[in-house]
Amino acid sequence: MKKRSLPIFLVLLAPALAWAAPNPKLAIPEFTGLAQKATESVTITLDPALLAMAGRFLDGNDPQDAATQEIIKGLRGIYVRSFTFDKDSAYQQADIDAVRAQLAAPGWNRLVETHSRKTRANVDIYIMVDNNQAIGLALIASEPRQFTIVNIIGAIDLDKLHKLEGQFGVPKLDIDLSKTPAPGAQK
Amino acid sequence: MSQEIESRMRAALRPVAPPEDFSQKLLARVIADRPTLPKPRRIFSESARPLMWWLTASLAACLILAVGVQRHLEQQRLQQSGLEARREVVEALRLTSQKLNLAYEAVKNQSTSLGDEESGV
Repeated sequence: MKKRSLPIFLVLLAPALAWAAPNPKLAIPEFTGLAQKATESVTITLDPALLAMAGRFLDGNDPQDAATQEIIKGLRGIYVRSFTFDKDSAYQQADIDAVRAQLAAPGWNRLVETHSRKTRANVDIYIMVDNNQAIGLALIASEPRQFTIVNIIGAIDLDKLHKLEGQFGVPKLDIDLSKTPAPGAQK
Repeated sequence: MSQEIESRMRAALRPVAPPEDFSQKLLARVIADRPTLPKPRRIFSESARPLMWWLTASLAACLILAVGVQRHLEQQRLQQSGLEARREVVEALRLTSQKLNLAYEAVKNQSTSLGDEESGV
């Protein structure tokens, strides 16, 4: 009897465990109103199927494509919303707060929070760690005329992401990543 | 009167043995009188046969062409989706990298300069 009830118990337990497992996917609004006001908007929604499809169209012989391929190998989703405006304060902090509130959920750790008085740019980087493995990354960058939300799901290698510097036209910075605090240090 | 009629009828209807060649003649007559079946009409005359061949061949060719075009369009659609996905991945990583750099730059400035940058790291 006990042997028979074990699989039933496990079947009943599975949804509860799935619910309890940390979910790095954020519910990012579509920001339809802001998209109409923005001079430039980027909406990227890449699920596992699209990521796999993109991977097939990357050329392993090209250094940039090879680096991209290496990064997306362990990913299960990339979601980006970015809006650029032609004047300051075209968006409200409340627009971002709905996303920021989700990062207060258990599992998320603030990795970096920066504020620049000179450029008035705020960048918050959150990471979700499960079994010593980064399974989610959230980035909120708010500048006077631009705000960007990035949510990456899957096994993220920050070193590889850092190596992207100098590629895609982004200038390479000489920064020692090892000086950044361990995940969870800020919470 | 009625007796006379009866006797005449009996005389007329008396059983008579058929002649020797009766069955042969009957069979010959049956065969001779058999209605001839109309010849099946040919739908296409001999002269129309090559036309029919070409028509069938054209139809088959059209079918093969349609399948080929459909496959090509499907392939093209897949390729477009793949290239679009690739473009989106590159754009997403470019933006992420750019914003990470923004954060790293702020961290770097904070660690090198005094007070100009304020960082919450």
